[in-house]
Amino acid sequence: MYRAIKQDIADMGGVAVLPRQSGELVFHDPWERRVFALAVALCEQGLYTWDEFRERLIAEIAAAEQATGPDTLAAALPSYYEHWLAAFEQLLIEKGMCTPEQVTALKADLR
Amino acid sequence: MSTAHGQGAHDTVPDARLEKRLTAEQTQALEARVKSLESLLVTKGLVSPETLDKLAATYESDLGPMNGAKVIARAWVDPAYKQRLLTNATAAMAELGFSGLQGEHMVVVENTPTIHNIVVCTLCSCYPWPVLGLPPIWYKSAPYRSRVVLDPRGVLREFGLVLDESVELRVWDSSAEIRYLVLPERPSGTEHRSEEELAALVTRDAMIGVARVPIQG
Repeated sequence: MYRAIKQDIADMGGVAVLPRQSGELVFHDPWERRVFALAVALCEQGLYTWDEFRERLIAEIAAAEQATGPDTLAAALPSYYEHWLAAFEQLLIEKGMCTPEQVTALKADLR
Repeated sequence: MSTAHGQGAHDTVPDARLEKRLTAEQTQALEARVKSLESLLVTKGLVSPETLDKLAATYESDLGPMNGAKVIARAWVDPAYKQRLLTNATAAMAELGFSGLQGEHMVVVENTPTIHNIVVCTLCSCYPWPVLGLPPIWYKSAPYRSRVVLDPRGVLREFGLVLDESVELRVWDSSAEIRYLVLPERPSGTEHRSEEELAALVTRDAMIGVARVPIQG
């Protein structure tokens, strides 16, 4: 089955622009590919609009830059898909798909 | 391989985000966190692992050719643009803001009910990357490069494209000077689609000529 891509995802601009090399998506590790697909999949099912996700992604990136100041080296900031993950978790909570406790537990599992 | 054939020198300036900078520990932690998140959402019945695999693959293979797809869609809806594209593809692509080719000429070859075009670079891997992104691995493989010339019909069959014996196959060998792009046939069932919707249907493989744009509806 052929599945068309969503143009508003491909065309995101500004700080939200997808990391791409010669047009193709760049994923460094499997989790990045996975969290990308998660956000797209739930949007495709109509659980939120892509604009809703994009707004939260932009907010996450802006918040991180503000928290550390403009002179912080890019290397010290969270990576693109860490912002993506944070935005996605935020949206899951806001839309009532997950409880804040469930999301916190995911992070807590790491330690 | 001569340097004129390489694409590295023509690549756009990479953005800093393309470099991996997470440590192994951070990566491991994020792998675990996303895996748990996925399990949670699968348990809730919101998504299936198969969907995620397919989605990621679709975006990985189709995002690159976005520029090329816009060119094809424009040609489908605008006969005058199509004429310019077939006459001087480099200039017609520049009209849409797609350039970056340095000295190479783009040539667009049109598929019809009786002619099917396929692009290859027998010498190395010349490829119209500003409009198609990075070439797929098979495009650079020796078997594709040699066999598509000797047995194009057989190669297409392996890609899942079976063409009637009456369809003439034309194989175009890209070089440092000329890069080819296939203008696929507009599929039936798309008469009422917008240009943007049409662009979303055009795949990289169709613009290389190893696939057709599938019939809709």
